[in-house]
Amino acid sequence: MSLGILSGCGETTGGARVSFSAFAAGAESATGAPLTFTNHQGYSVTLTRAKLHIGAMYLNQTVPTSGAQETSCVLPGTYVAQVLSSVDVDVLSAQLQPFPSPGHGIETEAKVGELWLTGGDISATEDPTVILDAAGTASLSGQSYPFEARLTIGRNRQIPTKDPAYPGSNPICKQRIVTPIFASITPTEGGKLILRVDPRGMFDGVDFSVLPKVSDAPLLYRFSDQNDNAADLSLFQYGLRARTQVYSFSWQ
Amino acid sequence: MSSSIPSCSFRCICLGLSLLSIGLQQTAFAQQAVSPVEGTAPVKSADSPSEEPAPSPVSGPVSIPPPASPTSLAPAVPTPTPNDASSPKEDHKDEDKGERKAEVQEERRDDAKNAKNQGGAESAAEPDSGAGGSGKKSPFEMKVTGKKVPPPSRGAADYHVEVGALSSVPRKNAAELLKLVPGILLTNDGSEAHADQVFLRGFDAREGQDIEFTVGGVPINESGNIHGNGYSDTHFIIPELISSLRVLEGPFDPRQGNYAVAGSADYQLGLAQRGVTAKFMAGSYGTYRGLLLWGPRGAREGTFAGVELYQTAGFGQNRDGRRATVMAQYEGKSGAHLYRITAQAYIASFHSAGVVREDDYLAGKIGFFDTYDPTQGADTGRYSLSGMLETRVGKMLIHNQVYGIARPMTLRENFTGFLLDPQEPTQSPHGQRGDHIQVASMAAIIGAHGFGRLTTEILNQPQELEVGYYARGDFVHSTQHRIEAATRAPYHTEADLESKLGNLGLYADLNLRPWKWIALRGGVRSDLFTYDVLDLCAVKSVSHPSKTDPPGDDSCLSQQDFGKYREPTQRSTTTGAVFLPRVSLVLGPLLGISASVSYGQGVRSIDPIYITQDAKTPFASAESVDAGLSFARDLGPLALTVRTAFFQTRVDRDLLFSQTAGRNVLSNGTTRIGSASAARVTGSFFDVAANLTYVRATFDDTGLLIPYVPDWVFRFDGSLFGELPFDKLRIRGKAFRGTLAAGATYVSPRPLPYGERSNPIAVFDLHATLGFWLFDVGLVATNLFDAQYRLGEYNYASDFRSQQLPTLVPMRHFSAGAPRQVFFTLAVNLGGDK
Repeated sequence: MSLGILSGCGETTGGARVSFSAFAAGAESATGAPLTFTNHQGYSVTLTRAKLHIGAMYLNQTVPTSGAQETSCVLPGTYVAQVLSSVDVDVLSAQLQPFPSPGHGIETEAKVGELWLTGGDISATEDPTVILDAAGTASLSGQSYPFEARLTIGRNRQIPTKDPAYPGSNPICKQRIVTPIFASITPTEGGKLILRVDPRGMFDGVDFSVLPKVSDAPLLYRFSDQNDNAADLSLFQYGLRARTQVYSFSWQ
Repeated sequence: MSSSIPSCSFRCICLGLSLLSIGLQQTAFAQQAVSPVEGTAPVKSADSPSEEPAPSPVSGPVSIPPPASPTSLAPAVPTPTPNDASSPKEDHKDEDKGERKAEVQEERRDDAKNAKNQGGAESAAEPDSGAGGSGKKSPFEMKVTGKKVPPPSRGAADYHVEVGALSSVPRKNAAELLKLVPGILLTNDGSEAHADQVFLRGFDAREGQDIEFTVGGVPINESGNIHGNGYSDTHFIIPELISSLRVLEGPFDPRQGNYAVAGSADYQLGLAQRGVTAKFMAGSYGTYRGLLLWGPRGAREGTFAGVELYQTAGFGQNRDGRRATVMAQYEGKSGAHLYRITAQAYIASFHSAGVVREDDYLAGKIGFFDTYDPTQGADTGRYSLSGMLETRVGKMLIHNQVYGIARPMTLRENFTGFLLDPQEPTQSPHGQRGDHIQVASMAAIIGAHGFGRLTTEILNQPQELEVGYYARGDFVHSTQHRIEAATRAPYHTEADLESKLGNLGLYADLNLRPWKWIALRGGVRSDLFTYDVLDLCAVKSVSHPSKTDPPGDDSCLSQQDFGKYREPTQRSTTTGAVFLPRVSLVLGPLLGISASVSYGQGVRSIDPIYITQDAKTPFASAESVDAGLSFARDLGPLALTVRTAFFQTRVDRDLLFSQTAGRNVLSNGTTRIGSASAARVTGSFFDVAANLTYVRATFDDTGLLIPYVPDWVFRFDGSLFGELPFDKLRIRGKAFRGTLAAGATYVSPRPLPYGERSNPIAVFDLHATLGFWLFDVGLVATNLFDAQYRLGEYNYASDFRSQQLPTLVPMRHFSAGAPRQVFFTLAVNLGGDK
């Protein structure tokens, strides 16, 4: 019988589902020691502690467009990879720090990555999880600013809606998702997804002089963890949530 | 879920039916001691054979198939009556069968004149020439037991199925009879009130989108059903009332209409077992079934009434439900007129478990038979009335049928959990509220079809010309809502359509026989489809909405850009016409061997949801070629049929189910190439059939496989039957009768999205009965080896909140196949042949 001729063994519907391991680390140049750099405001900053809580990572095959996709947390049907376990990353170290559980995905090219900075429900109004825990000293013109930052993302980051026609234009979930982080990656079985975080970019625009002082002895300034301070806004909005310079995805 | 029949009441009714039968039985037993039923003289009916025209003396080659045994296709449990154990070739002598013989002979008497000239080769009454005693039957035909004289065979892809002794093989419903033809795979991720998903010859025909289903000439496919255009739920058919089935795998007959893309399936109704038959079944998972059938003795087989009550707690979680069905038909004959009135009512309410994520099951987060969403299920109904009148005027047979159907349906499904509720800027802030879909549809269908068939003789051979029409109107209101998991309140309207759909078709079919071993059959069909769709929710988003009257959370908006007012509705109308040539060339039979080549085009009307104003070619069409070879012969006491066919079918725009959309969505063109083979051997004490199908189904643009379509499907049905050969077991000289029947299905791993393959399916069912006099008891085991199999497997994204953060990439899901179930059955027949 000619059935054998018609055999379709080995044919496929295309693509593949894959599993992979996921890691996060500081910049490749990081040594694990305090990191000193000069930010865009001219401050010489020495970071002695910088830990980032990552709730999850996703890779997406489409770049979000305007409209609903700008406000929706989840874009249906477009995800090619996910890492659902959380990890606290020491971003002063270049050593790869593994996520507790493997990631899963499909063998399709991703265009952008998403970083979910959350301790749980992405849409919860409150979340006490400290997303960024950093400390160090900034100096400018002989003035020293010992500082610490413990940033959370909850009601303190909620952006009120001004247009009554768009009550859902600023959902809290969007404050917790850093995207789009451009990344051209095609997940493969057994590969490694690596996220590198460069803390220098987080503090690049911070003017430490406007930080609230919390004590004189010892001298200490602290980020307010509110959107009411230019330094805090700069660290949160343009540092922690920066789409460029801070985060980069790669695949090995 | 609503419950129209309280559980305890249902059991009482079933038990009552059984006890009533036993009580009646005792009375009958006493009567039989004086006048045994089997010895009763035939009751002369109004249209008894004596009133029929005398059969043509040359009608010998026109084999008169024996009436079907009461197809004891219990829902999950067939309970064969004594006739089930009889050979399908048994010479029946009661008056009903004689009447049937005369009827067929009358209808074919003109043709039969020519059969003599054919030397008993493929007879003029070829469709009926299944098991002619001459041993020269047409290999493409199987014995037919229905009342309707079927149209001429279209070759190797045309299956006229006599269920016969294979009715003893466990089958759950009418749809499972389809497994007697090659290439059928049935799955169901809904419930027992949800249509089975049918795979045929490489088509994922979903719930009927690519197969034209009819019962007694009345269409089952539902145009405009929002769950799937062409949705066909056959659960309303009482399996025991199916007398025969014709499955034509491909669009090769001009009589085939809308949805006959992969083929068509036509159920014929009839009740061979006369008298009152009561059946009761009880078994695993709180399953009970009561059935009462009545075929007035002396009336035609087409006259019957049947009532079925069914209830189950279901295996695993959330598969409980119940249904009630009534079917009644009166068939009479007056002079040259044959008429038939059929009424049917059906209601059902079932829960369903839906799908389970493979990773959750492997992690122990959910059981194999569990459910994520216990609100899934279906509530459906179907009510129909039809009338048929057939008149013979000289050499012309005129047939007309009208029908009306009311069809309410509500489905509740959740394939994706909490994934598809995006935050629109105009909406109040919200998280994922749940993807539970509530699909509701209410359809009113009216229609008529008919034909005139002229039979004459040219070149000393019988020639036929048939011209027919088809008219149908569907008036459908369909909605699809998303339901909030927390409150079970609808929070979003995805569709709200009022559709008026029309279909007018005309066809002409020639059955030419230039020589006794050559038959050329075919013709053309032309259909006109009209669409008038009122979208009651036409505006779902707006740019620059009004600030003074913001749309908020409304689904169906009354404004357009910059807040300018407009009605939320939009009407679209369009039409489409199609011209479909179909032809078959049949050669033989010579030494029992026949060959055939067929070509045809089929059509599927498009889902109203895709209708836009004046859209061109609003339908999908298929082009199919089939070549087959077959052998059929009576070899002494054996009747052997073997056939194989090779086919290719191309569809210009296919429909594939989207779990995220919750309905079928359009895709690109596709092609199927494959082969289907079947064999059946019938003897005096056994009936064995097997079929094997291979198909390669690919997308035209990429060459990639179409997901979910199985490459290989194998099916085996076998039955041993007869009197038990133990003299000591006889009572009053009467022997016990027994049946042992088995069914086996193997489906090779199916291609899944993302380059994966599913697990194979291998299921074995067994049925044993023991009968004496009017009683039969039986034991049915389905999935005898308790294989834990996945009936359906799918790869797509879902988030059932089994993890803290959303799962957004495609993962494996499955719907669980049924575990082993065991049922006890009892059947009693009064006033019948026993």
